[in-house]
Amino acid sequence: MVEWFNSIVNSISVSHLNVLIILGLALFGGTIGGKLFQKIKVPQVVGYIAIGIIIGQNLLHLVPLSVVKKFEPFNYFALGLISFMIGGELKLSALKKYGKQFISILFFEALGAFFFVSILVFIIGMFLLHNLVVSLVMALLLGSMSAATAAAGTTDVLWEYKTRGPLTSMLLGVVALDDILALFLFAVFSSISTMFLGVRGGNVLNELGGLGYELGAAVIVGGGSGYVLARLLRTFLDENKTLTFSIGAILLVLGLSVALKIDMLLSSMIMGILITNIAPIRSKEVFKLLDRVATPIYVLFFVLVGTSLNLGGINVVIGVLIVVYLIGRTAGKMIGARLGGLLSKAVPTVSKYLPLCLFSQSGVAIGLAILAQQRFPENIGGTVIVIITATTFLVQLIGPPFIKQAVVKAGETGLNITQDDLIKTIKTGEVLSKKSPLIAENTSLKKILAIFSRNDELYYPVVDKKKHLQGIISIDSIKETLMAQELSDFLLAHDIMEPPVTTCTATTPLTEAEDIMDHYHVDYLPVIKEDNVTEGVVERRGIQRYVATRLLDVENKTRSLG
Amino acid sequence: MNFKDMINEQGICILEESDKKQALLKLIECAVNQGAVHQEKTRELTERIFHREGLMSTGIGIGIAIPHVRYEGVKKPLIVMGIQPRGVPGYAAIDDQPVQLVVMIIMGKNQHREYIDLLSHVVRFLKSDEIKNKLLQAQNAKDAYNLIKGA
Repeated sequence: MVEWFNSIVNSISVSHLNVLIILGLALFGGTIGGKLFQKIKVPQVVGYIAIGIIIGQNLLHLVPLSVVKKFEPFNYFALGLISFMIGGELKLSALKKYGKQFISILFFEALGAFFFVSILVFIIGMFLLHNLVVSLVMALLLGSMSAATAAAGTTDVLWEYKTRGPLTSMLLGVVALDDILALFLFAVFSSISTMFLGVRGGNVLNELGGLGYELGAAVIVGGGSGYVLARLLRTFLDENKTLTFSIGAILLVLGLSVALKIDMLLSSMIMGILITNIAPIRSKEVFKLLDRVATPIYVLFFVLVGTSLNLGGINVVIGVLIVVYLIGRTAGKMIGARLGGLLSKAVPTVSKYLPLCLFSQSGVAIGLAILAQQRFPENIGGTVIVIITATTFLVQLIGPPFIKQAVVKAGETGLNITQDDLIKTIKTGEVLSKKSPLIAENTSLKKILAIFSRNDELYYPVVDKKKHLQGIISIDSIKETLMAQELSDFLLAHDIMEPPVTTCTATTPLTEAEDIMDHYHVDYLPVIKEDNVTEGVVERRGIQRYVATRLLDVENKTRSLG
Repeated sequence: MNFKDMINEQGICILEESDKKQALLKLIECAVNQGAVHQEKTRELTERIFHREGLMSTGIGIGIAIPHVRYEGVKKPLIVMGIQPRGVPGYAAIDDQPVQLVVMIIMGKNQHREYIDLLSHVVRFLKSDEIKNKLLQAQNAKDAYNLIKGA
């Protein structure tokens, strides 16, 4: 027994324990890093990578490269999962929904960034590196990645300013779908690039044939697995089996792709695309379940990416390329979006302001950079990942303020609001009817009846000569007098008014005014100034009418935007 | 709540005063003695009564005036009545006639409905010439009280 125990203890070597500590450190540190970056509106993924850089070979040396290498299969799985989920975003119905105008803008802004970045990086790369192939490959890879726009850093601005309108819809659509274009560009150009680099060897025809085989096989493997998975999901409905089958399918596709020497990420992406389109409802659940288990996998993956980054490689060349990439991507997206908008005759606010909204960059670009790092030699892969990480950090800082400016100028802020949101912004004074009269204390019943018949309100303030509030006359207090005809000649406002329960001022927030009414069980509230001069009475139904009118204004304004 | 039930003998006085202010003060004194408001609130009650008169005279014509007040300081709803057969000149009644019967109504803050009912009831009751003339001939409070009760 003791021997058995000892053998167990001995079998847990120090290096095993270290791996576990590294995993724990990566998850904790990464999550904290992500949160910190999220506070400054930079995607959490940059935070994960930053923590990896800190604990990795660049600074603390807590994680030796040999250990990082052990995680390779895990990294493949994480990348496969990411690709699968990105594929799940590509819904053909969404493409149809947004229509021609959208397609035009999407292609122009994404391809604009691709061409500008590719051309600029190629020229500057040639100038600095004097190496045609390296410059060309780097240009094509960075160009493909530059097409993607991040939802993070975009949607939270839109949400914060409660925007609604054509610019908002277009922006959301573009942000959701240009990632796919980036993926396709990357899939195609990274394959072509391996050909340029002669990684596979052989002549051009063989290379082209290889590329055709790779894409075709990826479609067959990914599509076939997707179809089988969709069938299985129809039979097995409970969550545990759904999750297990899905992860199993991803692993199988990855393994098959490795065995067949095809692009495993393209295959798993195609599987994602297939199931989201042939089994939209069941696949929604699949992606939800995966999303739940994905977080620790992502955190670990990106932290490990950070540990393997070699920042020692940053030099003037990379610094220049970072600037070139930023200029090319910004110019390409701005000009492309503008051109796409003008050519497709989009409403002016879209053509004019969408170009300012597309700077954000995140997960997809970084994911692709990581793929590049794995697939290409260090002088290309390492450079690409450093450029993408650094530029992501920068654009996430400058992107959101530009989006804010754009939506403000386009007049789309404050339109995506509910009744509750609206009420929170209103002060009681705004609701006061300007026409509604104050009733003097000595006004006769006859005149009061006339006031009631001419105006719409149910409550009127009774005031003295200084306009100080004396009481309230309601339709109820009038009702009592209808049975007392003999009094009609001599009853005054003073006689039939009721004492005000409480008051508020014009600056009282409407929500507070409503709370006061609830508290006192009344349907009105007199509004007075600081010097006690009466301004009027707000009524519950007046508030409802005012809010309804304002909401209608918002609707009309939204509609007028196009 | 009606006039007959609310009036009592102590609340009726035959007025010697022949000016509006004095007559009203006398009735206020009577009301305070009956416990309408706390003694120390007499001044507030007086102000309220005269404030209302300032807005418009409560003389409703045919010799009748109904000064009335309703506010939170009232301890006990009350009616007091003053009779001045010679009439109080200068009351500025609607018909400019001297006022012979002054019925003061003092009610609590939240008695809006009762207040209007009572005002209406008093007006209807006194508008009857027969009752009014009999009241004017009453020699003392007791006679007047019995007359009202018997009507």
